[in-house]
Amino acid sequence: MKISSFKWLFGKNSEFWPTNMKTGMWAWVGHRITGIILVVYVFMHLTFLSTASTSSAGFADLMKTTAQPAFVFMDFLLVCAVIYHAMNGFRVILFDMGIGIRKQKLVFWVMMAISAIIVVIAFYVLFNEGLFKGEWF
Amino acid sequence: MASQTIATSKVAGTWAWFFQRLSAGLLIVLLTVHIYLDHYAQVGAEITVGWVHERLGQILYIAVDYSMLAMVIFHGLNGSRTILFDFDMFVKRKKLVDIGLWVLGIAMLIWGIIVLLPFIDG
Repeated sequence: MKISSFKWLFGKNSEFWPTNMKTGMWAWVGHRITGIILVVYVFMHLTFLSTASTSSAGFADLMKTTAQPAFVFMDFLLVCAVIYHAMNGFRVILFDMGIGIRKQKLVFWVMMAISAIIVVIAFYVLFNEGLFKGEWF
Repeated sequence: MASQTIATSKVAGTWAWFFQRLSAGLLIVLLTVHIYLDHYAQVGAEITVGWVHERLGQILYIAVDYSMLAMVIFHGLNGSRTILFDFDMFVKRKKLVDIGLWVLGIAMLIWGIIVLLPFIDG
């Protein structure tokens, strides 16, 4: 990709300049960003598991590290990325089957409402029941 | 305003499109099972090698884990390929990209299968 085409793609007159983007484009950009994050995560997941799979002490160390609050928070962000990617992907599949295209903005916000509910449940489970062993609230 | 839209890749191909949807549907099912059984139902419990080993004694768990591995690798790498082509990157090297991603994907699959073996053996 040349520098000029970079400007064509991301400059002020481009489709990706925030004020030029509408709902569908935000959904598309979000799908790409969460997609890349999840691919990076899969590489990390395999890397860390492969270092911990040879000894039970190594595995216990990894579990102890990942039980720390900062890692639980990152787990939460991962869950958010997965839920957004799944629900928006479901929306894409619906459109591919010709369902809901005329109401595409509504479908997006319904999906986001469902996502929000799952995210709240995930937050409660991860932090209250996971990190604080049911003693947070 | 840019008049040309790049949001839908015509370069990636119909089969890539179809299998991306198929793997997506399977992943939604497999990930729901995975998150429920491995993270939700056991939340807060200490995760040990023994527990993972016990769980992987059931053929269904091994099937779910390895299916998920294969689907995630395909979906992730095929998605990355779509992003590359959407942004007009390496389109002239499409064949090379395809071969490279297949090699990477199969290597990752073998790697993932090997990583889980010690947990299955115990």
